[in-house]
Amino acid sequence: MGYAAARGGLKAIEAAERLVARERVLGESQWLESKQMIEKLRLAVDRVMGEGGLWDEHLAASALRQAEGDPIEAAHLLRSYRSTLPRLAYTTPVDVDDLTVLRRIVPAFRNPPGPQLLGRTTDYTGRLLDTDDETSQRTAAEKMAAFIEENVTISKAIDGDAEPTDIRQPRRLLDLLRDLDAVVDRRRTDDPEPFDITRHPARPPATRSARLATMARAETGALVNVWYRNILGPDGYLHEITLGEVRHGRLPVTVIHPLTGDPVSISDVRVTEVEAIEDLNGIDEDRGRFDVGYGLCFGHNEKKAIAMANLDIACERDKGRSFLEQSILLTTDGLDASGFLEHLKLPHYVTFRSMMERKAAIRQFQENT
Amino acid sequence: MNTPLLQQVLDRTTPVDDSPASHLEVNFGLLDEYSKREIRRAILTAVAVPGYQVPFGSREMPVARGWGSGGLQISLAIVGPYDVVKVIDQGDDEGVNAVNLRRLIVSSTGIPESTTPEDSTLIQTRHRIPEDPLDERHTLVLQVPVPEPLRGVERDMRELARMHAEADYARMWVSLYEDKVRNGVITRTTGYPCLVNGRYVIATTPIPRWDVPRLHRSRFLALFGAGREKRIYAVPPHTDVEPLTFEDVPFEVEVTPGASCRTCSSTESFLVEIPGATAGDGGHWVCSDSDWCRRNRERLQHPSRGDRS
Repeated sequence: MGYAAARGGLKAIEAAERLVARERVLGESQWLESKQMIEKLRLAVDRVMGEGGLWDEHLAASALRQAEGDPIEAAHLLRSYRSTLPRLAYTTPVDVDDLTVLRRIVPAFRNPPGPQLLGRTTDYTGRLLDTDDETSQRTAAEKMAAFIEENVTISKAIDGDAEPTDIRQPRRLLDLLRDLDAVVDRRRTDDPEPFDITRHPARPPATRSARLATMARAETGALVNVWYRNILGPDGYLHEITLGEVRHGRLPVTVIHPLTGDPVSISDVRVTEVEAIEDLNGIDEDRGRFDVGYGLCFGHNEKKAIAMANLDIACERDKGRSFLEQSILLTTDGLDASGFLEHLKLPHYVTFRSMMERKAAIRQFQENT
Repeated sequence: MNTPLLQQVLDRTTPVDDSPASHLEVNFGLLDEYSKREIRRAILTAVAVPGYQVPFGSREMPVARGWGSGGLQISLAIVGPYDVVKVIDQGDDEGVNAVNLRRLIVSSTGIPESTTPEDSTLIQTRHRIPEDPLDERHTLVLQVPVPEPLRGVERDMRELARMHAEADYARMWVSLYEDKVRNGVITRTTGYPCLVNGRYVIATTPIPRWDVPRLHRSRFLALFGAGREKRIYAVPPHTDVEPLTFEDVPFEVEVTPGASCRTCSSTESFLVEIPGATAGDGGHWVCSDSDWCRRNRERLQHPSRGDRS
């Protein structure tokens, strides 16, 4: 004991930590406020909450600041923080029909039941970089803020409070398709407990809830990549789905009060929800009907929810014939993949010594024969 | 003890400033008690069924997955207030990741640390087993990057589960046979596949073959933790651990004829090479177990002082 510090390992680590801590706060700019990140870097904060599997905008913003903007590192901070806390309660099941939409589009029909509500999106906006100098951008932003201040109705509409509920809680396209008898009905009545991926490792063959939970927490880029690889060919051949619903909105969360036993709404979370319509064409499938894949994740993250919905139905149809389920369950977690990749930086001189020894053994055998 | 380090752990795991949940009190061993209990139950199963990979709900740790998160979860789940911890990486107590893991364990428990196995009860390691003989007092916790020994011969996890369940290791034997036929020697380096208790084949983490015989009928408990892959397995004391090899092909450990440690002159420890700047420049060898090397050197210099340091 005491010998430890003599070699300098700890000192070097502490010096590295001081460097990180110092450089994070030095510089000309102001302290980066959590509120600023929550408001101005909304999508980054949402992504961290989704991949961290924890809904808390302030913690996510803190993590993002501590991680210097690296979303996977920030998700790691959230999840390892979560590991230190006991799990005290479960929410009651959430009914996604209670979603109050901030945005809702239905690409499958021109005029679906309910609104096509574009909401806050840059989908139809030219991706033109604002090259004005920062002062002009700031002035323009302040002008706009002042304008909005005077036009309260617009501001409220963005919040989703000013309109009747039926517009903000539109009927699902899936309900219409069911009325038309155009989709196979896979609804089950036995209501099994969902698979908890934070308490049990999900391995193939897994339940649908295990796959959905894994994808909901997956790293966005990884999920998009699994989808794209399967669309493009190297890993299989996925059908491109038609989107039935793309929704972003607020969903109330309810727990049973420990004393009164009554359900209590404790919060609402923003989620992105997607229903993907699949054209069934397999020899063993009901080819006169469609099927539906489902995606839902924390925050506003349409790429992820769409990939999830398409992979959900693809996995269902695959029925374990390919490696698709294993890919989804085992390769999409951001912490797993990046942690293991980065572990290559650790010293490996014992294993390498063993490899060198075997290389010499092979060469010696080659020379003797 | 170690309040500044404890504060560092808190700082690292608890985003502070304006968040409402900034009043974290770190639990003994960092993990909450429910998680520790769950991990301990998995360990008990692993001990009861030697070599069987027990699935567990691996938690996200303050170290990245692939950096000893599985070993750390085992250590934190079983550590008690009277333990003394030693952590090595490549045999070295001062490897940077060993230092980081050790201070996480120490700062979240307040237990003392040591570099000598003699003084330790809990030894967490990456890639090595200490040279000193370990016994009933010791629990060796090995960090496992890839717990599945059969992955090289089968990728489908459903099939892997079947192979283990039926003890169907035929393809592993075939791959070893093909290796021998193609290369003249079995080219497996570290993590050599071993049959445990005559039943399950395990990956011996990437410990070198040098260390494999010391798992066989050992006096200590060896626990293997794979955090990323969410598996725990065990070799209990006095359990058979037999490297897979053929009757006429002896199991070979790493040996370099003529090599000895430049620091302590040992020829009887696992040596790693310190290369010269060029191929002709010689280079030399040193013990990978740095603490054993130090004591060995002192023993040679001052024989009267005995083994203890």
